[in-house]
Amino acid sequence: MQLTREDIIEELKSILLAADDKNADLVETCTEDSVLSTDLGLSSVAMLYMVIAIEETFDVRFDDVGMDDFKTLGDVVTFIEEHAA
Amino acid sequence: MKTQSAEVFRKYTTPETFARIREFDSVAAMWAECVKQYADDVAIVDEGKEYTFAELERDAALLRTAIAAASDAPRVALLAANSYDFVKAFLAIATLGRCAVILPPQLDAPTVFGCCMKYGAGLLLYQPALAERTAVAESKVALLPADAAGETPTPAAEVPAEAACCVMFTGGTTGRSKGALLSNGAVMQGVVNGCYGYEDVFSQRYMLVLPLTHVFGLIRNLLTSLYTGSALFICRNTKDMFRDIAAFRPTIFVLVPALAEMALTLSRKFGRNMLGEDMKYIIAGAAPVSPYLVAEYKKLGIDLFPGYGLTESANLVSGNPESLTKPDSVGIPYPNQEFRIENGELWLKGKNMMDGYIGEDEADVYEDGWFKTGDLVRLDDEGFLYITGRIKEIIVLPSGENVSPAEVEAKFNELPFIQDSQVFEDVNEQGAHFLALEVVPRATELAGVEKDKVGAFIMAELEKVNSALPSFERVNRIVIRDSDFERTPSMKIVRYKKCN
Repeated sequence: MQLTREDIIEELKSILLAADDKNADLVETCTEDSVLSTDLGLSSVAMLYMVIAIEETFDVRFDDVGMDDFKTLGDVVTFIEEHAA
Repeated sequence: MKTQSAEVFRKYTTPETFARIREFDSVAAMWAECVKQYADDVAIVDEGKEYTFAELERDAALLRTAIAAASDAPRVALLAANSYDFVKAFLAIATLGRCAVILPPQLDAPTVFGCCMKYGAGLLLYQPALAERTAVAESKVALLPADAAGETPTPAAEVPAEAACCVMFTGGTTGRSKGALLSNGAVMQGVVNGCYGYEDVFSQRYMLVLPLTHVFGLIRNLLTSLYTGSALFICRNTKDMFRDIAAFRPTIFVLVPALAEMALTLSRKFGRNMLGEDMKYIIAGAAPVSPYLVAEYKKLGIDLFPGYGLTESANLVSGNPESLTKPDSVGIPYPNQEFRIENGELWLKGKNMMDGYIGEDEADVYEDGWFKTGDLVRLDDEGFLYITGRIKEIIVLPSGENVSPAEVEAKFNELPFIQDSQVFEDVNEQGAHFLALEVVPRATELAGVEKDKVGAFIMAELEKVNSALPSFERVNRIVIRDSDFERTPSMKIVRYKKCN
């Protein structure tokens, strides 16, 4: 089954909500335009957590790219859309 | 002054294991014994390939030949990321009786050259993948790739304990990095210290995610693993560590608290213990360990041991084998550690201490031969150490009273839903100085609280703690953050400096 961008965003929100250093309000109001480092305030450890959780959830691999290559949440959604099995 | 004895650690393991923990003068002497005892056991796993102790010695012996042919410089710079090449190169340098100047692999070419000059390295041994970083050093320093090999093996040298083993970089709290010179005796005390305080010590399976250019990675993770005849899996990319864990099934993990916390979050998210069923121990250090982590890992059947150490002390000063009953302690000092507490500050001497910083003014570093750590501590009746603050972090209030932020933060951090906190001095529009608190909540511990009441709940609980503090330590403003604090590369919180 093909995941829609909305499905992916919802799953990403659930991943972010499970992280300890996140505020629920911030995550629930985030959009595809939210900037990972500033709008979402992701630290380097939180970024690493995101990568691992995304790989585990969507069965994709970030082998040649790192989270630094993504600016917004929308960029991450696009990557998952293009690479998810 | 006190000197610690190894006997205090006897009760934490079996008599057979305790009897096997012995001291060596040098890395060369330890390594010779390892190769004899564990020849056909796996020492290193890297990029899908296993290397036994005998194979690692064979490769190191051929590299010793190449090093000896390239230069007779007493100090050899090593530029390599975590890899089999790093391990082989470090062993080759140390077993030749030379001193390894360990360069962080992220340094650019001009800085690599600058470090070779500053620390007097006459030869630069580099991982072939990092060859371009040698471009500036090339004209002044002899170069040798770490995959070089002579035709015939060169035997290891006899190396005395006082011979220099390595130069390690330390940021300290002043920020500017310094090179700490560690002797073979100091490094070996650090390696042996890693064997005390837990039951299953020898023939374990270790994971490596920490940088080998840091003492915690080099000494506690790599060298203690080799010393104990254990196998070390080199995780090349931290994001793959859980896949690597599933394949390698490690029993011991040396970690910084931030990664230990992340592993816990992922385990909750995916409903299984991401560290694997074989994991027995987590050795956590390099930053303060929250008592919450000790308790949560115990539920997964994993013992988490906090410790305390410095680059200047060849990593380990103390370790806590009783973290369940004393979760906020950094433990008991390791054998041969001489220490005293002067005006609350921990002063150190002993076999594990560095021989000084290279090329630095050391006037403020020592007093009467004691290394001044800058850490404020207290000792309980059973000999357990507690870090209560940093001297440089002390806030002197307008009233003249001294406040240790770490001590006040520890009170707030006892709340399970507080992940981290920072107490600092701020100034209002009228120019009055006051104490402020910022906290990062731990969302998972707030699941039971109605969403629109979370803020008020946290605030009320923090106020309860605040009002129980001595009046001069009470904070005047509290902010609940919605993101983590800014952190240094070693995951320490960057402290606010609003009133300097």
